[in-house]
Amino acid sequence: MSIEDDLRSALRREPAPGGFGARVLAKTVKTEATPRRPLVFALAAALAAAAVIPTGVYEYRERQRGIEARDQLVQALAITRVQLQQARGKIRQVTKRRL
Amino acid sequence: MTKTLWILLAGAMAAFAQQGFDFKSLDKLGANATESANITLDGNTLKLAAAFLSDKDVKDIVTKLKGVYIRSFEFAKPGQYKESDLAPLRAYLKSPQWMKIVDVKEAEETSEIWLRPLATGELGGLAIISAETKEVSIVFIEGTLRMSDIGKLSGNLGIPDIDLPKDGKKSGKKE
Repeated sequence: MSIEDDLRSALRREPAPGGFGARVLAKTVKTEATPRRPLVFALAAALAAAAVIPTGVYEYRERQRGIEARDQLVQALAITRVQLQQARGKIRQVTKRRL
Repeated sequence: MTKTLWILLAGAMAAFAQQGFDFKSLDKLGANATESANITLDGNTLKLAAAFLSDKDVKDIVTKLKGVYIRSFEFAKPGQYKESDLAPLRAYLKSPQWMKIVDVKEAEETSEIWLRPLATGELGGLAIISAETKEVSIVFIEGTLRMSDIGKLSGNLGIPDIDLPKDGKKSGKKE
C-alpha cells in the first residue's frame, strides 16, 4: 500500500460512535461550571490573607514597640549609671576633702 | 470605736504610701528646659523590652522591675527651675519605706540616693536626685533589686556610653 492509501484510510469519514453528542454536551455543561473555581480560590485566598495579614501587622508592631522600649530602657540604664557614678565621684571628693 | 478608726487610718496611710509616685507632679520642673530626657517605662513595657535584650545580667535585673522613670533636664541659665519643683518627690521619698543613703550637698549641687529596703533583704526601689544650677536629673526605679544589681547598674553591663544632651559634664567615662 502506498502512503496516499494509508492517509486516505486514516482520514476517511466515519460516523460518530453512539452517544458521542450527549457526552460532548455533558462535558460542555461541566466546563461551564469550571470558571467558578478560580473565584472560590480567590475568595479563599482573600479570607486567608485577611486572617494572616492582621496577625503579621500586629506582630510587626509589637516587635517595633519592643525594640523602641529596649532602646529607651538602655538609655534609662545609661543615665542611671551616669548618675550613680557621679554620686560616687562626689562622695569621694567630699571624703578626700574631709581627710 | 476610736481604735478601729485609727487602725483604718493607719491602713489607708500605708496603702497611700505604697502607691507609686505621680510623675505628673514634676511636670513644672522641665518647663524651661532647653534639653530633656523623659523616659517612662511601666512593668508591661519593661517585660516587652526585656525580650529584646541580649545581656543576661541586664535581662535578669529588668525582669524584676515594675517601673523605670527618668526625668533629666538641662537649662540655658541658672534659676530656670525651683527647688520647690522637686518637693513632691522629696515628700514622697520621706515616707518610712524609703531611706536616704547618700546626701551630698556642695555649693549649688546636691546628690541624693534613696533606697527602699524590703523585709527580704532586697530592695523595692531606687531613687536618685541630682540637682545642679543648670541641670537636674531624676532616676526612679521601682521593683525588686539586690544591692549587687545597683553595683552592676553603675558598671558597664554592656550598656553603651551615651552622650547626654549636656555640656560634656555628664559622661559615663568621667571619673
